[in-house]
Amino acid sequence: MSNLINSYNSLLSNLLIILICLVPQLMLAASVDFLRSIGKIYSVIGVIVILFLALIGYLIYLDRKITRLENQNLNDE
Amino acid sequence: MLRQLWWKLLGAGILVIVLIIGLGTPLKSGILESFPLSAAVGETVTLDVRGYNTHFATATSQSAYLKNSEQRVVSASLIEVKSEQDAAFTFNLPTGDLASRESLTLIVNNEKDGSIILPSALLLKEGSPSNQSSTARWEPLMVNELHRSEGYRFPYRNILHETIRNTFFHVAIWFAMFILFITGLVNSILYLVRRNLVYDKIASAFTEVGIVYGMVGLATGSMWAKFTWGAWWTDDIKLNMSAIAILIYLAYLILRRSIHDIDSKARLSAAYNVFSFLILIPLIFIIPRMTDSLHPGNGGNPALGGEDLDNTLRLVFYPSIIGLTLLGVWLSSLSYRLSILKDRWILNHK
Repeated sequence: MSNLINSYNSLLSNLLIILICLVPQLMLAASVDFLRSIGKIYSVIGVIVILFLALIGYLIYLDRKITRLENQNLNDE
Repeated sequence: MLRQLWWKLLGAGILVIVLIIGLGTPLKSGILESFPLSAAVGETVTLDVRGYNTHFATATSQSAYLKNSEQRVVSASLIEVKSEQDAAFTFNLPTGDLASRESLTLIVNNEKDGSIILPSALLLKEGSPSNQSSTARWEPLMVNELHRSEGYRFPYRNILHETIRNTFFHVAIWFAMFILFITGLVNSILYLVRRNLVYDKIASAFTEVGIVYGMVGLATGSMWAKFTWGAWWTDDIKLNMSAIAILIYLAYLILRRSIHDIDSKARLSAAYNVFSFLILIPLIFIIPRMTDSLHPGNGGNPALGGEDLDNTLRLVFYPSIIGLTLLGVWLSSLSYRLSILKDRWILNHK
């Protein structure tokens, strides 16, 4: 059971690393001037990505709280 | 009610529709740029015009005007269409006893794009006496000759361009944040009145998600500013005041985590929540309106009016507020149920 939780946690942290790697690329994209000519759609994509990352971040926070509660229950039993 | 699925799916469904319509709907046509930028009175000038989402080549009845400050126009004498986006319009500018420089508005009119305008397209300067032979005249604009754009399309605004879609996310998340904060405030007051710890848990869950939303609001605003104002952050009063407001709310989280006695934690954080909401209102709504601000809705700029939020945008903007609020309530309810479980566990094991 704790093995399963551990592998789940490492999967989560991998996902987080991938998402964090996306941020500098987005920053780079913002500095490129040709984006002005295609109507700045990347700004909208950036805004949606920020919203998505924040929701994922909050879910990870809740997830860790649940994991802690589960572990306490397991130790108790 | 909290455990039921239907309102969670409703919120998620609304957000999916907001994403599809909000990103899929095209913008109205517009004029990106025009060259040259200035000409003398009496001259013949050819404007190279670059359009956005325009249909210069497929449109059949093309006309173009230059409009002066007295709402009188001169029509293009020659129209040369190069592609859907590019066209050249030649104008014989009238002579005139122009005392001062004047900037003219370019109007391009066809049945596909409607009438699209570029304000301050051409600066009219005083000419030399040699080109005073022009026969062109300023004429009244025939408004009934102008076409209107048809179909469901979002407004084209200079500088904003495609970023007008950020309204559905950046503005809507601030509205949703306010709904969450007000719910938290009401529950904090209820706790202070009735001293029931359930209200404290609900208040803390809603305020926590509200803070996440507020930080998303700051970050998305920063992203929008980079593409329209040219900087990630400016020392604009609206930006700084809302950052301070979010910091005041962050102190709420720190306060809750630094007190271990359950009753004093609930009492202190409820009182703090009331004060932080009371300071939020002047910081976000009153102080920015008292000075100049780049941000819409402040310092004389309109926000929820005019073409910045027309009916096509409202049709997506209001559902987006509802969807984000339902999502926030969902997240808050998870946080609340978790804290209930935690309490139950502590009770069982003491």
